[in-house]
Amino acid sequence: MPRDLADVLHHFLPESERQGPSDATRRPDRGPGALAVLAVPVGDRDVVRAAFVWNLAVEIGRAGARAAVVAPAADGASALWPEDASGPFGVEVILAPVTNIGQLWRAAEGVAQDRARDAREGGVVLVRVPPLWLRDPRGGASLLRWVLLFSTSERRDLLETYGITKLLTGSLPDTRIGVTIHGVRRQGEAEQAFSRLADVVSRRLGRSLASYGQLVDDLHVYRAIVDQRPIGMLQPQSPAARCLHDIAGLLLEDAGKRARA
Amino acid sequence: MPDGPRYVGSLPRPLVRAALRRSGTLEPALRVFAEDLLGADATIDLVGVDPEGRVVVVQVGEEGEDRSCVVRALAQRAWVRPRLGDWLQLAPSLPFQPDAPVVAWLLCPRFSPDTLAAARELGSDVIELSTLRGIQNGAEATVLVERVTPARIHTAHEPFPEPPDGGSRFRSGLSQHDLGLGPDERRDFE
Repeated sequence: MPRDLADVLHHFLPESERQGPSDATRRPDRGPGALAVLAVPVGDRDVVRAAFVWNLAVEIGRAGARAAVVAPAADGASALWPEDASGPFGVEVILAPVTNIGQLWRAAEGVAQDRARDAREGGVVLVRVPPLWLRDPRGGASLLRWVLLFSTSERRDLLETYGITKLLTGSLPDTRIGVTIHGVRRQGEAEQAFSRLADVVSRRLGRSLASYGQLVDDLHVYRAIVDQRPIGMLQPQSPAARCLHDIAGLLLEDAGKRARA
Repeated sequence: MPDGPRYVGSLPRPLVRAALRRSGTLEPALRVFAEDLLGADATIDLVGVDPEGRVVVVQVGEEGEDRSCVVRALAQRAWVRPRLGDWLQLAPSLPFQPDAPVVAWLLCPRFSPDTLAAARELGSDVIELSTLRGIQNGAEATVLVERVTPARIHTAHEPFPEPPDGGSRFRSGLSQHDLGLGPDERRDFE
């Protein structure tokens, strides 16, 4: 059943004591045949959202699950990813020599199968999809079955996120799309933005969006990005680190469901 | 104990300019040939040339200054344009033509909806916007630049031609045309 905002409201609220990740998430007891593959459209120069992807992978690794990031090899010439591709907790950044979305899926699928062998706690392969490839998603249906979209609470960003949802669901009716609202300064700002987006998506497209929480506009985020170090390790007590932890938990929960399905 | 990270507004401008030049984050790659240049009644932070031969006037603004900076950046752009020929006489090796297009590039911590709308209306041939976050770690300052208005230069793996509404690209590089957005849908988010 799709998750709605009410199910995740607690993730927007401060908690004095949080459960450890292994308790907070329900992962499969044994490693699946392949790790779940999560497609994340991120622009070619969008260092901030690319950093979120990498940090989420680190948080998933910290939770004891397996995580890898797969991106087109053309990213190697950009500042999107840390120079040292072998991150903490066994997190890898794998640059695949691909030029279209079908090839990207095959590369991600290979990684998902290979890394599942020693992933008793399950895990996620996060795939950086160049958004321009979504204009011609043929051959990418398998990759786009589970998608994470980042959006700020700005109107134009919400419109873009709605548009990408429309583009995906128009040709891929079974795709599951989740949204993380980032750059917010107040707790209610993310709730309001997600609610507005979900309402329009429901009304116009007849679809439900999953909420994958929020990322606060925390200066530690940007400091970690320029340092190319994981936020959760640089500033583990920062609001941003706690948000990333929560989002990783939500993703692992969904990955577990997908593995069981 | 080292200082914690601080926003750009609290960093001295020379430090910001130095960090900008050092960070390699000036995109598109900019060959800076002037810094802290006295222009139209105020200083221009940086002037450079991009790979397309456009002259780029970089103006750095602080939190809450974005609206006034638009006006200032446009005034500086207008001030620079007729001077390109003079500069070429002084330094003929500069890699631009006397009639090169001049674009203003505004870097601020945050932009109001008014500023964003104005920039979109003017188009990326006139003004481009990026958020600028300065971070000070002890004595060293670093900056993070994040483009707000769409990049004008196509990347190697962008096999599609410029869409009809190319001037209204989103952060992802997709346009309203790509996403099939109609007026009613746009109104839902106004």
